[in-house]
Amino acid sequence: MRWPSSDRIVFPVGLLATLLVLVVVFYYPVGRVLLAAIDPAGSPLAPIGDVLADPFYVGVAHHVFTNPASVPAGVLAWLADGAPLGAFEFGLFGFTAYQAALSALASVALGLPGAYVLARYDFWGRRTLTSLTIVPFVLPSILVAVGFQAMFGRTGLLNDLLAVVGLGPIEVLYTLPAIVIAHAFYNAPLVTRFVTGAWEGVDAREIESARAMGATPVRAFRDVVVPKLLPSLLSATLLAFVFSFMSFPIVLALGGLELQTVEVWLYAKVQSLELEAAAGLAVLESILSLGLMYLYLRYESGQIASRSGRLSRARRSLLAGWRTVSDPRRLAVLAYGVVAGVVFLGPVLSLLIESITGPDGALTMAYYEFLLARQASTAVGTIAPLTAIRNSLLFALGTLAVAVPMGVIVSLVATRGGRGSRLAEALLSAPLAVSGIVVGLGLLETLVFGVEVFGYRLTVTGWLAVVAAHAVAAYPFVTRNVTPALAGIDDRVVDAARSLGASRLRALLTVTVPLIAAPLVAGAAFAFAISIGEFDSTVLLAEGGASHTMPVALERYVGNRSIGPSLGPATAMGSVVLAVTAASFVVIDRVGGRYDG
Amino acid sequence: MGESSIGGDTRGESTEGGVGLEDVSVTFGDVPALSDVTLSVAEGEFFTLVGPSGCGKTTTLRTVAGFETPTSGSVRIGGRDVAGLPPEQRDVGIVFQNYALFPHMTVEENVAYGLRYRSPPGDVGPDERVADLLELVDMADLTDRRPESLSGGQQQRAALARALAPGPDVLLLDEPLSALDARLREQLRVEVREIQRELGITTIYVTHDQAEALAISDRIAVMNDGRIEQIGTPEDVYRDPATRFVAEFVGENNVFDARVDGDGRTLTIGDDTIVSIDDETIELPQSLPERGELTVCVRPEDVHFGPGETALSATVEHVEFLGDAYRVHCAWNGRSIRARTQRAPEGENVTLGFDATDVTVVRSE
Repeated sequence: MRWPSSDRIVFPVGLLATLLVLVVVFYYPVGRVLLAAIDPAGSPLAPIGDVLADPFYVGVAHHVFTNPASVPAGVLAWLADGAPLGAFEFGLFGFTAYQAALSALASVALGLPGAYVLARYDFWGRRTLTSLTIVPFVLPSILVAVGFQAMFGRTGLLNDLLAVVGLGPIEVLYTLPAIVIAHAFYNAPLVTRFVTGAWEGVDAREIESARAMGATPVRAFRDVVVPKLLPSLLSATLLAFVFSFMSFPIVLALGGLELQTVEVWLYAKVQSLELEAAAGLAVLESILSLGLMYLYLRYESGQIASRSGRLSRARRSLLAGWRTVSDPRRLAVLAYGVVAGVVFLGPVLSLLIESITGPDGALTMAYYEFLLARQASTAVGTIAPLTAIRNSLLFALGTLAVAVPMGVIVSLVATRGGRGSRLAEALLSAPLAVSGIVVGLGLLETLVFGVEVFGYRLTVTGWLAVVAAHAVAAYPFVTRNVTPALAGIDDRVVDAARSLGASRLRALLTVTVPLIAAPLVAGAAFAFAISIGEFDSTVLLAEGGASHTMPVALERYVGNRSIGPSLGPATAMGSVVLAVTAASFVVIDRVGGRYDG
Repeated sequence: MGESSIGGDTRGESTEGGVGLEDVSVTFGDVPALSDVTLSVAEGEFFTLVGPSGCGKTTTLRTVAGFETPTSGSVRIGGRDVAGLPPEQRDVGIVFQNYALFPHMTVEENVAYGLRYRSPPGDVGPDERVADLLELVDMADLTDRRPESLSGGQQQRAALARALAPGPDVLLLDEPLSALDARLREQLRVEVREIQRELGITTIYVTHDQAEALAISDRIAVMNDGRIEQIGTPEDVYRDPATRFVAEFVGENNVFDARVDGDGRTLTIGDDTIVSIDDETIELPQSLPERGELTVCVRPEDVHFGPGETALSATVEHVEFLGDAYRVHCAWNGRSIRARTQRAPEGENVTLGFDATDVTVVRSE
């Protein structure tokens, strides 16, 4: 649509404010972190060079940077040796990429059958299940980590059940598979969501044409359906890889001391105040993630599917009475349902069950009482649970106040088309691709520690910085929801209002705003949930201050057993977070929220 | 249909004069959309802009409504220059092709919308005005429905009532019927015309359908490529097209490149003499240039089997049954010529005839 224009003044001012916020709380702080690596006190680029030359980070590739001349000889020697794959160490970056690749594959393995089921079968609860695939966007990942601990931990549900039958205990946590499965829990729904959309978009007439021209069902599937699925599948896989590459709380909580990724190491460097080394890592990680995100966007923009006038195919009914048991395809689907149920429901149920069962298996409210009792404690370094809950809610409200107007402004730019929309797309995507640790570090180094502006020293308190970081992470979700609705408004509806006597502002208020009300609420609910769940930058910004949030408290309870009797308090706090997040989800679902890429 | 209680606009200052455009040009970026468009629509007139898509007819309408700003020229509505006036101050009612009803409002709320900002004409209150208009368009029993639950025809009626509610000086209709099926389209265009007559409201109607334009208009303007080709009554434009474009666009036509030869004595197409000009029995309606190239056309309904004042040897290639007649496609010296006449076997050699008075000479572009 064209400008809803009353805003000859209002709009440019809003846009300017939005850009200013982005610059102040995102681009400038992040830029400072990255620049610290490029131009430190010593020699330029030294922090980056240090990282690249260190086999700890890059493994065997460090030769390329330390002694490039030796590389050809080394490669030849390796080839002469029969090219053994196990001969190399790939370092921290190598391991991070490796686990991300495994996680992406696992996400596809778990998510793709789900897309098949949702797109091709009809069953009770299908629509609810489809909307549940947006849950990963609102579920705090630290919560997933706690859920996995509740399920697989030493005192978790799995070992409790094994003990009943006299087996165990087994140790699944702190292994690579635990991280990979947790990432799959997180990213498989993404794969399902993307691919289901593409699958539902296959026009029945195209398949019928292929069949009429002599293709077998398998051949028609290969020639017609697969080409339509591949782009979405690749998009989702790439996104799953990026998210797993940058994943922080899951690796922090489930990786233990052995398994670390770039993001976790970056956090450790910041914690120990080795800021130059952190900056070097941050630059390399950002280059990688921004590059991948760029690839993703380039790829995604290349596929614009026209959905109009297509004829959707009829879904098969999943349950067909007794025939179900004799149909191998339906049996496979049901088996998949069991696996998916264990992976997706297991951690959530374990969390809830563990929060109300004591070590002896009896029902107890002790952990929730502990949360309340903890509040009274004044010991140094403790985290007051009620304060964390209050903080989370206040920050979330603050985030709404900033992110919703920002998101709407960016939507207005995006729907203008042309250069504006590409700029908006870039503005939107950068926060997704830059790690929360880097944003948090940047905010710490700039606004929180203070910036000199025209001779005045500006400092921002911790909670303001937290709200700022949350708003930057949340506003893309507002935009993603509002933009399609805004783009879907026929210009002529607004024109009609104008020629009926409404000024631009009145047309905006009486026609445009009511038409985007539902997506606006959905976007706000997303923003709320993102703020509630944000961990990566909050954990840095809340350091030592009174601005702990629920996810930070969760991580403390998980990470430091000495403050609690068991996983109990963490699961109790986790259940509270889950309840708040679920409420957001219900709002999003009711008003038809979306997040399609 | 409807009650006659709905008068036209009664506010004094705007009832004189209809709509006038003078040398109006509009450009999008550096692409010209309208070039020097001049037209005047009399008060109470039903005036139609017709042309192929992209010809500038909708741009002309949007310029009158105030949605496009002319780069040059002036627009007058009801005798006053509206340059610089935003759409909400122009007192025009507009109906769009897709109706553009407000999807979040009921039919009644849609119709009442304009009355939030303008008072209804005459001395009726807003509620009464809305009721009257819904009655006028036969929508009185659907007042509480949302647009998405209405058929295309019902949405069109609601949109018309909405546009008329504030009593505008001018009604602008932008392809209001083109999304409807053929039968409904013909029915509704009669209703639209009746309502327009009843209210006596100055109306500009945009359509790409030349048959529709001919059927309902007081006058039409044929547009092509951002320019007006011809303005006239439907009969004038049909019978006496001013340009080759109009001849080909309006109605069905056989259009040929022709030549005046033989010292200005014969009109020929290729090697065939169509008309001998010195033949005293034949008078061409137009004055011919002395010699040289020109364009002539003959309507298929003026072409018949058997010799007339001219006789062409042709072969029947293809015959279409139209219900009231047959359309016979013939090949004549490598040209195609259509006749609207009786049936003939395909492949048969026939003689085609027409009278010189049915030959129209138009400017070649």
